[in-house]
Amino acid sequence: MSTETLPLGSAPRSHPSLSRTFWVNARFAPRTSLGFMRLDFVLGTVFVLPFTQIVFFAYVAGLAGNPAISVAYVAVGNAVATMTYSSVFSVCQTTDMEKQQYTLEHLLVSPANRAALYLGRGLVPVLLSFLTVGVSLGYAVGIFGAAVAPGALLPVTISVLLTSVAMVGFGLLLGGVALYLRTSIILGNIFLFIGLLLSGANFPLSFLPVPLQWVGEALPLTWGIVAVRDSLSGTGWGPLLVAWAIVLGEGAASYALALGLWEVFERRAYRTGSLGRF
Amino acid sequence: MRGTPPPPGPRILGASFRLAAQTFVADPQWLIPSIVAPVIFALAAYEMYRGSGPVLVLYAILGAGMMSMWGQTLYGSGWAIGQDRFLGTLEPVLGAPARYLWVVAGRVLWNTLIGLAGGALVFLVIAATYHAPLPLRDPLLFVGLFAFVIATLATVGLLFSALFVLTRYGGFIQNIGEFAFYVATGCMFPVVLLPFWTTPLSLLFPPTWALDALRYVGVPGYRGLSWGLLPDLVGALVLSVAYAAAAALLFERVVRHVLAQGTADEY
Repeated sequence: MSTETLPLGSAPRSHPSLSRTFWVNARFAPRTSLGFMRLDFVLGTVFVLPFTQIVFFAYVAGLAGNPAISVAYVAVGNAVATMTYSSVFSVCQTTDMEKQQYTLEHLLVSPANRAALYLGRGLVPVLLSFLTVGVSLGYAVGIFGAAVAPGALLPVTISVLLTSVAMVGFGLLLGGVALYLRTSIILGNIFLFIGLLLSGANFPLSFLPVPLQWVGEALPLTWGIVAVRDSLSGTGWGPLLVAWAIVLGEGAASYALALGLWEVFERRAYRTGSLGRF
Repeated sequence: MRGTPPPPGPRILGASFRLAAQTFVADPQWLIPSIVAPVIFALAAYEMYRGSGPVLVLYAILGAGMMSMWGQTLYGSGWAIGQDRFLGTLEPVLGAPARYLWVVAGRVLWNTLIGLAGGALVFLVIAATYHAPLPLRDPLLFVGLFAFVIATLATVGLLFSALFVLTRYGGFIQNIGEFAFYVATGCMFPVVLLPFWTTPLSLLFPPTWALDALRYVGVPGYRGLSWGLLPDLVGALVLSVAYAAAAALLFERVVRHVLAQGTADEY
């Protein structure tokens, strides 16, 4: 063994490739740092929770008897909104889990590319969100009488996929804030419930006061619901493309902001020694 | 320690109550299920019911108030056991001479009070938003029955807590079962609107009866379960006593079983 020592900080550090960082995180995050990714939770989130949530709001809509809010309208809105569990709520906990398991420091000093790391973590939640909404829309159409226009399958698929990607980006954004806060679960919960109120899932946004309508329009879920409703009803490509563009734009902004926040809060956490605070 | 006499129940209850209060203040995430979520549910239902008259606004208040109580009573109590497992404190607590039932009862008591406060807050928020007097028939009796509803919920929380000691799936059951419980107990709409075959299931829960009674008292012209107010109250009372008794019996057996199997730290 050589007795020669390298000066501190000059040890060679190998940078894992972007694709390796992406795939390793895609595979391991559901088992380590994403919330609610146990098989029982996943099955419940995909099959049970959407059904009971839709039933609940469908009965509320039925009792209300408001002509602007049919049972099918509410069923489709909630079918899309159920992706919040596997996208926002699950993903935003990734920072909390790293803190609680004392792995955050190790992660942050690693040379792995941050963007590949976080995008990798989002892969399984995107797929799960897609699956959840697929099953939920099945309930909405098969049980609650939501109408499907001919040729709606492709636009619905694209709408759900884009919304899933954007919502996971939003979850990562909240996870970035958690680097500053002690926990992100409160934020995740708040957005989980705010989605039911401000996204147009249960009633048109026009029912709300104007400032709340603005907040609602800033949420990717709102435009995802618009896109899915437009796709199902066979609205032309024009309005659909606008909705897709907004979903994509909000998703891209969420990812960019998430990475930016990680930069800012990481430096701040180093400075204040608050990296592992939870 | 073997041979050590257990401390008196009320003392354990008080200590557990204090600890639950301190945990609540230190970890304010419980404000979400007990306050934030019900207010949002109430506002969502309020928007949906708004054009349908003041009676349905009362439904929104009652339903959201009930959700607040459910969120705090069952989430708070049951989740605490999951946290005990996660933090590794369940085993020493079960092994202590103090009866675990008293520990859980202290938590349930605290959560019941917070749930009641959440319900009151929901009422105030909607009443303030509605800009018109709510058509409550008998406000005093209504308040009394509101407290009774939460007492029935507390018995459900107590029984479920016993089951959560047994299983590591407590959190899962709560999360997945949340909306199912709201539907089954008819918290935002009368259970008579549900398919007939679901009625026996709904009637297994004391809050179903208590909520129906609450609506008979509070909502003018309400038509719920056909037998009316008094049988509703008796049914809720009998079932609540049965739940509390079953919880007391079950706790002893469950604690013995978990200690014998060594599964208290399974998470």
